Amino acid sequence: MKKILLIEDDLALSLLYEEELKNAGYMIVVTHDADSALELVQKEEFDLIITDIRMPGKDGIELIANVMGLRKDTPIIINTAYQSYKDDFMTWAADAYVIKSSSLDELKAKIKELIGS
Amino acid sequence: MIERYSLQPNNFNPDTPKEFVLLSIIAQSFFQPFSLEDNILVILTALTAGSGIGFNRAMFFLKDGMRLKATTWLGPRSPEEAEAIWTMLSSPGIGYAEIVAYNRDLVTRMVKDVQPKLKHFVYDLEGQSLPLPALAALNKEIILVNEARNEPAVDPDFMNFIQVDSFLCLPLVAQDEVLGEIVVDKGITHAPIDLNDIELARLCALLAGNYIYTTNLYKKVVEMEKMAALGEMAAFVSHQLRNPIVAIGGFTQQMLASPCQPDRCRRNLNIIQEQVKHLEDIIYKLSHFLKITIRELQPVDIRPVLLNLVERPDIKLKAAKKTISLKLAPDLPLIQCDPVYFEEAVVNLLDNALDFTPEGGKVYLRARPYNNKYVLIIIKDSGPGLDEKSRDKIFTPFYTTKENGTGLGLLFVKRIVDTCDGKLEVQSQPGRGTMFKLYFKVRERGQS
Repeated sequence: MKKILLIEDDLALSLLYEEELKNAGYMIVVTHDADSALELVQKEEFDLIITDIRMPGKDGIELIANVMGLRKDTPIIINTAYQSYKDDFMTWAADAYVIKSSSLDELKAKIKELIGS
Repeated sequence: MIERYSLQPNNFNPDTPKEFVLLSIIAQSFFQPFSLEDNILVILTALTAGSGIGFNRAMFFLKDGMRLKATTWLGPRSPEEAEAIWTMLSSPGIGYAEIVAYNRDLVTRMVKDVQPKLKHFVYDLEGQSLPLPALAALNKEIILVNEARNEPAVDPDFMNFIQVDSFLCLPLVAQDEVLGEIVVDKGITHAPIDLNDIELARLCALLAGNYIYTTNLYKKVVEMEKMAALGEMAAFVSHQLRNPIVAIGGFTQQMLASPCQPDRCRRNLNIIQEQVKHLEDIIYKLSHFLKITIRELQPVDIRPVLLNLVERPDIKLKAAKKTISLKLAPDLPLIQCDPVYFEEAVVNLLDNALDFTPEGGKVYLRARPYNNKYVLIIIKDSGPGLDEKSRDKIFTPFYTTKENGTGLGLLFVKRIVDTCDGKLEVQSQPGRGTMFKLYFKVRERGQS
């Protein structure tokens, strides 16, 4: 089973994503801030990382840079409410940029595209 | 040995030429807040203060779109009135502030008689065969008109209004753009307009043009800042609203997609309800935040406000199992602010301080005079404190470290303090709690 690290500071949203992605057949590890995410990445292997851009502790973009340093080949999806970051060239480093929506179809499709089901 | 001189003098050496005194006073307007009207009035005064540059009366035109519009007229109506103004202006100790106050008064008194007549003097700068005085603005040149009654280029209506033989038209130009015009005459003394007069008038016109230019630029910058802030705000707001909306949509979809187990259904509905509450909270705070309009600063006696505040039921509820230590200096002067917003600002900070202080901990609320000019209010918690990075972010819209925080509270406090012309400082270190210092200006005696 593919293992996904989800970094999301909003508690309701992280519950939603966790349940939905479990339903879709993935194993999900949830963390709410960037610092503990970094710790996890150092300790464990993940097939995919999904992260928001703004969260307590660290900027999401900074986090991506750090994670890339540690795990060069783990694909990353930015899942955020911010449309405006899409043009930020730092986000090009991510493999996909998904704008949060009440339908999780796009997110699920991207995950499937990147790591299969 | 050192000698000290004021940057903005209002007593000149009696031998100083009058022209120089008046130009110095005009220069003082650079120190004043941007008020085009007042600055222009001071220039018009300098031009018309008989014993100064030598003209008696002035009409001021401002360019509005492509039209040149008369907006202000300044001048005595009779030799007696002129005499009174000249005496006033040559008395020692007259500075920018006095002239502005006097002129405002004069203009207000004249408004009834003159303003309706000024309305007639609107010239279309793109129109055909533009008459004087507007021709000077169009051509960007100073035009002296003598024997005006026989000069066909003069607008007869204008002639009828000023009723003089000679007048001088000064275009106001900056960055090669016409911004207005000043027309001056010697309608009281009927002396001829000489080269000396024209040279000084030219200098005044340059300054006036520059004022208009700077004021326009300033307005543009303020407008741009507003738009930028609005754009930033919109981005933040949409982000902030999107999270709860996604949660509501997502959990609803979950319930619709499959037959809903009662437990799961109930849980989802609870989450949805919570999210809606959060949305409401954001919208309430935002509208509240955007609504801050303090039209006039009032004297506020903060002692009763602060004493009352710690007795508020919402504060008391939060302060259960915690202590609020309140100490107010006995000699607290009145501050200038708004009583309601002042209370809101302190409540916000106190509320935060209580949230971050663990059970059994203490929150400190202090108020004392500072430096004769300010009252200092200190709110300190016994919470975890902030590292440098978070400290820099606390005034960023929607930045929050509280689970159900909106990230607007501190912004709101800052906005109130700024509006009251006060200062806000934050001191915090991890493990040492956070301290907010609010400095509010003391209400000066004699201010109404």
